[in-house]
Amino acid sequence: MKPRMMAGSSGDTKNPKIKPRPIVRIGIFLISHSIVVSLLCFAAGIVALILLPLFAKNTYISENALMPGSANSMLSSQDVKEANKLVKDIIGLKLSSEEARIEIPRLIAQHMADAGSEVYYHKFHPQMSQFYPLHFFSGSPNSGNIKENHSCVSHAINTVGIIRAPRGDGKEAIVLVTPYNSEKVELGEALSLALAYSIFSLLTRVTWLAKDVIWLAADARYGEYASVTAWLRDYHIPQFSALEKLDADICFESGYPHEQNENQIRTDVISRAGTMAAGLVFKVVDKHKETDKDTLSIYAEASNGQMPNLDLINIVNYLAVHRQGLRVKVEKLYFLLDSVFLKIVGDVLETIGKVARSLNARWEFGIPVADYIDGAATLASSMYHQALGVPTGSHGAFRDYQVDAITLEISPKVSLNNEVRILEFLLRGGRLIEGTIRSVNNLLEKFHQSFFLYFLTSPSKFVSVGVYMIAFGLLVVPLPIIAASLYCDANVLDSHCIKEQQKSGPASTNEAGIAFQSWRWLHAAKVVLVIHLWGAIVSLLPYLMYQFPEMTPTTSMLSWGLLSIASLLFLHQILGSPYSCVTVNQSPNREWAVLKSMMIAAAGIGLGLMSIINFATAQIGALLIVPMCLMVHPLKHVYRAGRLRTLAVTACNISLGFIGFPPAAFLFLKAYSEGLGSVSAGDFWNWVESLWAWNSATYLYLGLIHLPCWLLFMYVLLHPC
Amino acid sequence: MAIKARAGWLKLDSFSSCKVILFLILISIHLCELNAWSPSAMHTNNWAILVCTSRFWFNYRHMANTLSLYRTVKRLGIPDDRIILMLADDMACNARNKYPAQVFNNENHRLNLYGDNVEVDYRGYEVTVENFLRVLTGRHETAVPRSKRLLSDEGSHILLYMTGHGGDEFLKFQDSEELQSHDLADAVKQMKQKRRFKELLIMVDTCQAATLFSQLHSPGVLAIGSSMKGENSYSHHLDSDVGVSVVDRFTFYTLAFFERLNMYNNASLSSLFNSYNPSLLMSTAYYRTDLYKRPLDKVPVTDFFGSVMETIHTDSAYRGFSVKGTDKAEIKAPLNLKASQAERRALSAYHQDQISDFNKEVCSFHCIWSTLHKTVVEKIEDADTFVNYGLVVIIPLVAASTWLWR
Repeated sequence: MKPRMMAGSSGDTKNPKIKPRPIVRIGIFLISHSIVVSLLCFAAGIVALILLPLFAKNTYISENALMPGSANSMLSSQDVKEANKLVKDIIGLKLSSEEARIEIPRLIAQHMADAGSEVYYHKFHPQMSQFYPLHFFSGSPNSGNIKENHSCVSHAINTVGIIRAPRGDGKEAIVLVTPYNSEKVELGEALSLALAYSIFSLLTRVTWLAKDVIWLAADARYGEYASVTAWLRDYHIPQFSALEKLDADICFESGYPHEQNENQIRTDVISRAGTMAAGLVFKVVDKHKETDKDTLSIYAEASNGQMPNLDLINIVNYLAVHRQGLRVKVEKLYFLLDSVFLKIVGDVLETIGKVARSLNARWEFGIPVADYIDGAATLASSMYHQALGVPTGSHGAFRDYQVDAITLEISPKVSLNNEVRILEFLLRGGRLIEGTIRSVNNLLEKFHQSFFLYFLTSPSKFVSVGVYMIAFGLLVVPLPIIAASLYCDANVLDSHCIKEQQKSGPASTNEAGIAFQSWRWLHAAKVVLVIHLWGAIVSLLPYLMYQFPEMTPTTSMLSWGLLSIASLLFLHQILGSPYSCVTVNQSPNREWAVLKSMMIAAAGIGLGLMSIINFATAQIGALLIVPMCLMVHPLKHVYRAGRLRTLAVTACNISLGFIGFPPAAFLFLKAYSEGLGSVSAGDFWNWVESLWAWNSATYLYLGLIHLPCWLLFMYVLLHPC
Repeated sequence: MAIKARAGWLKLDSFSSCKVILFLILISIHLCELNAWSPSAMHTNNWAILVCTSRFWFNYRHMANTLSLYRTVKRLGIPDDRIILMLADDMACNARNKYPAQVFNNENHRLNLYGDNVEVDYRGYEVTVENFLRVLTGRHETAVPRSKRLLSDEGSHILLYMTGHGGDEFLKFQDSEELQSHDLADAVKQMKQKRRFKELLIMVDTCQAATLFSQLHSPGVLAIGSSMKGENSYSHHLDSDVGVSVVDRFTFYTLAFFERLNMYNNASLSSLFNSYNPSLLMSTAYYRTDLYKRPLDKVPVTDFFGSVMETIHTDSAYRGFSVKGTDKAEIKAPLNLKASQAERRALSAYHQDQISDFNKEVCSFHCIWSTLHKTVVEKIEDADTFVNYGLVVIIPLVAASTWLWR
């Protein structure tokens, strides 16, 4: 590029003797070396991201009060035998789905009541997935106002039991959730119900409870998340209006299981315990996949990248590994395990670590290749799930009420077909959950001691916010520098032009020209603003399309695309084309630079804002946006440079333009991870639909920041200079 | 004694003699000083202040420590009204306690420390640094009942036991305040000046307990801590039934030492101090003796952890105790206390030496009587006799002076 004259532009003011302050000089230095600095920063950001698995720390239990595993488990084989009876009862029901829907809650409620707890049924309607443009971040939309004509059959019934802590103050509670499909109960679901029952019946007898225990047997025929979120909403939002009660009572007779002892089991009231200290969702999955140990998978991600407090994961992990001897897993992106790139990086890191240790025995930063690859795959999964903003299980519903919750998925090492094996499995799982409850029971305050912002690289290793922020910071730093440098360049060039004009002839409109100079960014700003407005319109369009509910995903996708293009053209009709040069006075070959600097500024602000809302989204977004911002160059302009360089820049730009387009990027990733055959245009629509169904801020990010940025990128790329 | 001298002066006032007055004032000053200077005060009573500075369920062991010490000192003879017990007291009735209203310091659950007669003086949020310092220095508000005050005197041996979470030169009080080593040293100094103790044993079971003693400089203070600077104090074992650690190592081994003793035992402080095994403690017990003059192997532990066992027979209610009196008094103590009696005799002899030493320096003005004085002082065995002698001497003096004025 051309030599920069930044020092001159700000330095040669009227008084050259006064040195600018150091911070100004640093700024000038950075701007005048913007290419080198931004390249360095970007490379460092990528390297920092790749090195994250290396910086993972071992988890530790930060809250003293928890004391996991300090008490012996009290769950006996007798409890487990009782629970096994429940399994047999449920499996042996052999009912039609219609009867089972009523009979299973009745069975569970009977068991809860016999154990000596408070029981009630919670009836709820399924919720349609709807697009509410103004309901982002507001949690679940209140469905009370838009009740549709549900038939009584469409009710689902949660069964809830509450144990009041005998000597507790009743102000806090621990929630156990066992989702089951009432229409077709499988062995795994029956086992998880039995598991909960064994613990529940034990907890009615113990003397050490300080928090109430709630067991929610969630009817998951409309999805486990729906049932949990419906119950949580009714638990937290008391309904006082008589109308709603009336509505609820219409189906009273048919909707609830009939009971002999009606006075014990209530149907009309939601009884409550205290505020929830923690929620544990547990499921048994009979995978028939043989492993050497029983496996526990932990799912923690809630909506918009919120995580439960790390201490909750820590205690479960500690108890599972050190007390019950389970194998603990967290999700990972399995296709990354075979990645050649990760293997090479891992090898390099291991070698560097060995060399460092041979130089100085105290330098221990190398990790084995296998660990690195595993950590990277887990980290990528953790980052992906947080960035997506979609909860990985029904625990996500708790996070909307600031309750820490996780899903525990326990799967046996061999198929559970003989009774001894089932008993052993139930005992082990039950002791794990009992230990967790006892530990949480010891808690004095909300979980607050450990981390809320972290990525997991294994069940016992994590990267905290203080570390992974660095990578993002390094990625984003080039944006303001480049934007400033581009803008200054354009100005300097123009002032040169004007000076030359002055030399050639006395310009009458000199003053006006200079005044115009300083306002020339307005045009570029207008373009950026219009594009962002367009982004907002595009992200609101699905609301319009929901008015025609009969469309298939593919047609929806197509019409969305067409409507977007139409709205873009319409906006340009009204507000003017982006390429309309305003005056002859302006040097046209610099116009794209100002546009680019505006685009970079907008992208930087957008990324910064997004990093506050969902850090992982911003981090992954920065990986795409930042190279787009740095690389973009008008294709016409490039041809004036050397041949090789032209080729490289063009290739880079075109591939970035392809990857940067969200649908293209999504389909590309899907094809990469699942194979080409499974890809169709409707997939993107479905994916986006899931985003707004979960109120994910990632959708807003895509619509308001990423898409406009991509369009501006295309504008600059195709700029007619 | 000073009062007696003043009474004598009042009697003689009718004579209205300047010299007499001057002389008497001198004598009374002399006696006062004598009284203040010499540790003539005999070890007459024992007090214990037991402080548990932490709260919350997971600090169960600290309360168990304190209650164990409470039980021990009670067993060894300190009565309840001389024990100031400061406890958060939130364990026994904690909802998390598997054994309601019981506190154990061992997983065998043989001994319930929270029995029928535990008198907690400062409970819950009353356990503050302010209240602790008020107890030590005796500066209470008027409404504070006597049972919550440390009513010790110059003859008191005080045991101050503290446990909780500490650090370098501080001790946390219930996660909200800190007691610093300066504060402690300052309070002890005030106590010394106010003659609130004769000897003070500070025993601290926290992390880095030794650092809490670094500022102490009042004589008569003996300090022992569970760990040196930079060391942690660890819990001894976990009761997996209750689900918490129930006792700290240092306190556990202290209790183990005392369990072997009864109140008539003569085990010395040095044997207690030597009983701590750093490998069992996982920390180094530290004791500071430079402020304490008596040899540790001569001091029975019951001097602090027990109570004075002598019953002193006095002729009248008024006379009170005296150094001579104790020697002469009929001592109803069991035979195995003889050693300590002998030691006490030695002690009182030592006091008398001090008195005579002091008297050597007196008398620049009354040279005439100096020799007389000396002999008298050497002969006297207690202050009362001394006063009597003084009065006898005064009579001819007064007679002579009145005669001269005429």
